[in-house]
Amino acid sequence: MNSPTHDPTNPEHMTNPEHMTNPEHMMSNDRSAAAAPVFSVRDLWKVFGPKAGHVPGDRELAALPQAELRERTGCTAAVRGVSFDVHRGEVFVVMGLSGSGKSTLVRCLTRLIEPTSGTLEFDGDDLLAMDKDKLRELRRRRASMVFQHFGLLPHRTVLDNVAYGLEIQGVGRAERRARALETVAKVGLEGLENRRPGQLSGGQQQRVGLARALAVDPEVLLFDEPFSALDPLIRRDMQEEVIRLHREEGRTMVFITHDLGEALRIGDRIALMRDGEVVQIGTPEEIVGSPADAYVRDFVRDVPREQVMTVRRAMRPVAATEDATGPVVAPTATVAEAVEAVARTGAPARVMENGRCLGVVDQDGLLRVIAGLGAGREEVAA
Amino acid sequence: MSTATDSARSGKRTEKRTAPAGARPGARATTWRGTDSASPPARTPHGRAETPAAPNRLRTALAGRPVLRRLLPLLAAALVLVPVAAALWGSGGWPQQLAVDVKTPLDDAYDWVVDHRETNPVFLYFLLHLSNWAEISVDAVTGFLLQLGWLGVITAAVLLAWRIGGAGLRGLRTAAVALAAFAVCGVLGMWEATMETLALMAVAVSVSVVAGLVLGLAAGLSDRFDRVLRPVLDTMQIMPAFAYLLPLVLLFQIGVPAALIATVVYAVPPMARLTSLGLRGADPGVLEAVRSLGAGPVQRLVTARLPLARKEILLGLNQTIMMALSMVTIASVVGAGGLGEEVFSALSTVDVGNALAAGIPIVLLAVWLDRTTAVAGQRVAEGADHEATGVRKVLHGRRAWALVAAAFAVIVPPGRRFLVEEWPELWVVDIARPVNEAVQWFTAHLATGVPVVGGTRVWADGFTTGVLSPLRDGLQAMPWWSLVLLAAVLGLLAGGWKAMCTAAAALALIGVIGVWDKSLDTLSQALAGVVLTLVLGFAIGVLAARVGWVDRALRPVLDVLQTLPQFIYLIPVVALFNVGRAAAVAAAVLYALPAVVRITVQGLRQVDAGTLEASRSLGASTLQQIRQVQLPLARPALMLALNQGVVLVLAMVVVGGFVGSGALGYDVVFGLQKSELGTGLAAGVAIVLLGVALDRATQRRPDRA
Repeated sequence: MNSPTHDPTNPEHMTNPEHMTNPEHMMSNDRSAAAAPVFSVRDLWKVFGPKAGHVPGDRELAALPQAELRERTGCTAAVRGVSFDVHRGEVFVVMGLSGSGKSTLVRCLTRLIEPTSGTLEFDGDDLLAMDKDKLRELRRRRASMVFQHFGLLPHRTVLDNVAYGLEIQGVGRAERRARALETVAKVGLEGLENRRPGQLSGGQQQRVGLARALAVDPEVLLFDEPFSALDPLIRRDMQEEVIRLHREEGRTMVFITHDLGEALRIGDRIALMRDGEVVQIGTPEEIVGSPADAYVRDFVRDVPREQVMTVRRAMRPVAATEDATGPVVAPTATVAEAVEAVARTGAPARVMENGRCLGVVDQDGLLRVIAGLGAGREEVAA
Repeated sequence: MSTATDSARSGKRTEKRTAPAGARPGARATTWRGTDSASPPARTPHGRAETPAAPNRLRTALAGRPVLRRLLPLLAAALVLVPVAAALWGSGGWPQQLAVDVKTPLDDAYDWVVDHRETNPVFLYFLLHLSNWAEISVDAVTGFLLQLGWLGVITAAVLLAWRIGGAGLRGLRTAAVALAAFAVCGVLGMWEATMETLALMAVAVSVSVVAGLVLGLAAGLSDRFDRVLRPVLDTMQIMPAFAYLLPLVLLFQIGVPAALIATVVYAVPPMARLTSLGLRGADPGVLEAVRSLGAGPVQRLVTARLPLARKEILLGLNQTIMMALSMVTIASVVGAGGLGEEVFSALSTVDVGNALAAGIPIVLLAVWLDRTTAVAGQRVAEGADHEATGVRKVLHGRRAWALVAAAFAVIVPPGRRFLVEEWPELWVVDIARPVNEAVQWFTAHLATGVPVVGGTRVWADGFTTGVLSPLRDGLQAMPWWSLVLLAAVLGLLAGGWKAMCTAAAALALIGVIGVWDKSLDTLSQALAGVVLTLVLGFAIGVLAARVGWVDRALRPVLDVLQTLPQFIYLIPVVALFNVGRAAAVAAAVLYALPAVVRITVQGLRQVDAGTLEASRSLGASTLQQIRQVQLPLARPALMLALNQGVVLVLAMVVVGGFVGSGALGYDVVFGLQKSELGTGLAAGVAIVLLGVALDRATQRRPDRA
């Protein structure tokens, strides 16, 4: 496989070239160079309709907007030339409005929907070349999915639902029940093992879905809008549950959502999709701080920036005249935290990492970030 | 993705011609269909011209009259063809020149079969085995049931019903129904006949269930097989039970095998259909989740699809059992024996008392079987044994079965020691005589000569001479081509081109096989029955849909009526109206009414409550609400009710051949009894064709709903 740094189709280059200088971005690239990605997706297409296979190869058709393509060929391109890597241990969020192709994309990752063209690697294995048995093996042990509408078997108890994946693998009854019991406890469903899904609330049902995916101990968890069908409060609970699980186990997750707040809250990196294409890939801070185009800018307009942006964005170099005093903040601290520190002491705060002073944040810089005027500041950080 | 494209296309079209504000959704279709023909074809998407190249004036004249527009090509064709046909073959009944003699070849075929039954390899190595197997298995089960003795059978039935009903009140109630049903069978002196029927049922139902499951599984999993099977099942469903008997008699002679196989064939469709429906209706989200966990095809089927289809499969079992019971009783004409035989022979001498004595056990068997299987379905739907506690936990799963077996072992063997196996003579009550006396009294006092109102037989005679005869004579006097044309028009309006062709062809074929007049006689009875059924059914349905207590009172009655075999309906109508065409029509109305009422009520109930509320808030009166909101919105359901009514009435009118309704039904009975296969089979085919024609002429095309 090509290293992402040299791959001409690498999305990090494609969608966001002007941010190559961004230290955060450099860091993520370094990390990907260090460890091979879990998923490596290149130029992936999924076209529905008659003679779908012709569309990705045909330059002219591939460039057509959705409506015209449908008019010309009767086809719908749900995923159009998407490329990205999912790194080990990260939460990779794919976000977009309904109809943007994100659910199709995540189904392509385990070939629940067969991609039309492109390359798709899982841990270095060519996923598109796998035969039925290998693919089944992958689905059984390496990548589990959590669904928006749960997909629980109504005639089984909670415990048997959770143990279902193990049963498919052929694990014996006693062992799978024991393992299922552990998982049930892990997601906080103790005492409900013998209920049936119909007797549970939506949030509890999704916990069962989560437990079912976790029970087989997969390398990757795929979430397809798992919390969209839940009430806001319960959604919040479940998001925290996922964050907690990720912190405890460090499992790689691919998370599909249409909720920007959810994406920013749990995502290490976010891929923003529109009409089947990835518009921008980046950390929450990059998405909010440096929207790639007007669409993204519009999308993130109402995000409370001070809670997403880190102090790196508000930093200026240390002036020669300044002395080494004032409050200290970490480079990963949010602007909101720096605001609090600066307001409390009345002096600019120093951004310190490993005992080295990276720069200074003052009232002016912080306000510029909150107001969305951060431009012209980044270059000094290098 | 063609559906998505279509919907997008039509969506665009509606957008372009947004109906005037406040237009009803129903009215919009006509509005823009009108605009469609008036506007230049260039406005349609893709530049495809969708309007026929008719002269402009005609187009304007037809705008806003979609019915006329649809019929135009057919009427144009008729304008050319009808004069030609009329000139060539006259305008009376079906022309002789167009008829083919099917009776002689059929009789010849029968003779051939009779001659070669002993020698032809198909008979020797296949049909004979089938027939032997049927005979042996039914005999074995009958023998087993009789060996078990009445105590054994009752104990087994009660325990089984209790186990299926579950612990608690419901189980006790199901058990009580079983106990009452069998006890009454014994008391009425019908124990042995009941056991014969039960044995035939047991064998027929087991075979039907296995066959239905296999077919349903295949149809549920393979689209291609489904496409093949579906039209076959559709046709089988509108075929009157009667039509199945003759071909089987041809192959198997009169006797148990013919009855058994006819029953199996008749009872398979619901099982196959519902199994396939259940497999196809499984929640796609669940199936996807199962797939995402890496389940293979077999694992998917066993762990997800089949369990998810459990409810439908049990409903299929229920319907299969009810169909089998219905057929087993009718099959008494071909020597099925048992309860049907008793009813049949009693009816042929107008002995209402004995018919009732055999009919009541049939009703009770129906109620018992229906209740037990329906309860099983309910429990599955509720998720059954969830969180069993206390006593129920003890009576759970295998333990409850063990308890059932133990109870059986404790009660039956000692019981058999002390009591004889046969139902004790002392416990038999003869109801035939008192019933016959009551019927005689009724005939003497109420059937005729009641001042002012007349009496039931007076009504029946009046109905026959005043309605049925003129209708029959009118139909028979109509030019043959006008009836074919009428079938075509109705088919086209209801279902489109394909339905039109089928309906017209089916009707024409009736003429070709030479039973035109008899079929019209049957048709006249069916039409009278359908009109009565619909008037009564819609009236009762509207009432029940609006008045809560009527619905509540009606529901159990409908439940019971819908489970009764066709045969049973003949008993009361013979008591009331004597034999004849009016009796057959009355039985048909009784038979079809429950389904029509039920569909009407459901259709009206499903009308959007918001729309109804809106009309009420505008101050609509009750009649206005019914006329302007409920009936128009429930139209698909009402069309379905019409279709069902037609199919059911026809099926029953034909069975009326037993009670002197003449026409096709009588030909079938006659053919069966006198081995006149030619006559019987021609009538049987005509019945099927009539059924197809009527069904297509009234079946609404689903995609226009």
